[in-house]
Amino acid sequence: MPLAVEVAAKTDVGCVRANNEDNFGYDLRYGIFVVCDGMGGQAAGEVASKLGVDTLLSYFRRAAQTGEYQQAGAPMDGLSKEGTALASAIRLANHTIFETGRQQTASAGMGSTLVAALIKGNALSIANVGDSRIYLIRQGVIQQLTQDHSLVMEQVRRGYLTREQAEHSEMQNIILKALGSEESVDPDVEDLVVLAGDTLLMCSDGLTKYIHDNEILQMVSAGETLSQRCSALIQTAKHRGGDDNITCLLLRMVERPWYKNIFHAMFSGDPKWQNSF
Amino acid sequence: MAKLILKFEQNILKEVGLANETFTIGRLPDNMLQIDNLAVSGHHAKIYWDGDHYAVEDLGSLNGTYVNNQRVGKAALKSGDIMTIGKHLVQFKDEVQTAASPKPAEKPGPVTPKLDATVVLDTKKAQDIIAANAAASAGSGPLGLSKPAPSPTPAKERFGILNVLEGRTDQKQYVLTGKMAMIGKSDMATIRLKGFFAPKTAALISKHDNKYFITASDKKSKIKVNGEDFAGQKELKEGDIVEVAGVKAAFSFQE
Repeated sequence: MPLAVEVAAKTDVGCVRANNEDNFGYDLRYGIFVVCDGMGGQAAGEVASKLGVDTLLSYFRRAAQTGEYQQAGAPMDGLSKEGTALASAIRLANHTIFETGRQQTASAGMGSTLVAALIKGNALSIANVGDSRIYLIRQGVIQQLTQDHSLVMEQVRRGYLTREQAEHSEMQNIILKALGSEESVDPDVEDLVVLAGDTLLMCSDGLTKYIHDNEILQMVSAGETLSQRCSALIQTAKHRGGDDNITCLLLRMVERPWYKNIFHAMFSGDPKWQNSF
Repeated sequence: MAKLILKFEQNILKEVGLANETFTIGRLPDNMLQIDNLAVSGHHAKIYWDGDHYAVEDLGSLNGTYVNNQRVGKAALKSGDIMTIGKHLVQFKDEVQTAASPKPAEKPGPVTPKLDATVVLDTKKAQDIIAANAAASAGSGPLGLSKPAPSPTPAKERFGILNVLEGRTDQKQYVLTGKMAMIGKSDMATIRLKGFFAPKTAALISKHDNKYFITASDKKSKIKVNGEDFAGQKELKEGDIVEVAGVKAAFSFQE
């Protein structure tokens, strides 16, 4: 039976910051989902994260029109066509943000994290730059699919820090990779598989710095609708301080027979895509 | 009256009073405080009266404006704060504030955003810091690590192997290096089934915390491990026999 994707996404400025530098977007027609967390003084962070989301969405929309994926940078070994496309789209986004930052002094030094998922049937390709995350919740188990490109997590991986020390470190805000900070970027891209019943969570660090993995598991498994679960996650993060912008995009894989799919497409009224805002 | 003290390497170069509502700092001569140094942007930052306190705002400078060593876009200033502009230091002093209002910090003014914004280390800097950390792992590291983590030997990664005993597949042996490996006829399958009636997707083997689990890819698919049916997901152990879609395979760990 074909797999269909249900989606809900929300972003919140949090309790402390004056502006929201997070952004997200998706297009169910092409199975592309993106969350970005921007950084940089004044409005530059907002510009960077918006550029990140826009570049990815338009890459896959354009590919659907031309029928082929535009290649940017050297193809990575052992990746599917979709994974390679995701890497290309991210390199283009990096280039766009880097050039914009260089041309406009007001946005110099801007950058953005990015997590993206591309879903075609059972095939899932994910990509990551920075410290936003993708989690997979399957059969009552939560698994972080991405590795943070942060100084503290790099130290955890090398065995200099424990996970507990990392969570209390003052240097959690230092990341090692971002879109737009250097001329080229080397994203993590991986080809994976999704099954009916799986839930994917894509989020900015404003969420994960307040909510532990096992709490996420509980909260994602409870609640009526996907959108309510999104709100519950964001409310909890705000309740615990919310000193950063919080973004949460939830995806659920459902089995839907083809005739119901058509019915759903015609009458459900759910948006098929959501551009950056 | 509030004033700014311009310093360069311990030497006081200049003192200026903040007479205007807005006070600009930069390399070009049209600034009220000119700092003629290439590390300073043409129009680097401005200091202004923001309702009930002075604030500094970076004007999109290349090298940034720092208040007490924190890079800021915009920040409230209190007496004694030190701004870094390029290689120069600019100290902000406000006598009225310190003398007349004893606890300016407790004034219920507008909330100053916490300026712990995310920063990116460029690749080289990151490598330097991590390398320095490795070198200093015995003593106190430069990043305030007082001791190395108690578990310096991370669990050795081991890979699962699937040896096909019966059935038609594109290989006889598979080393499961990825996080997930699909069994099926589909293009995305790692363990590729052959034959007209083989299902596109039959089962998924996923790796999580150095353990392997097998799950049916959909409700129709039937999997047996050691001859027994199961629901949901099942951990694979050394020597387990997996049967799915007409294929029988043995699971083991690579040494």
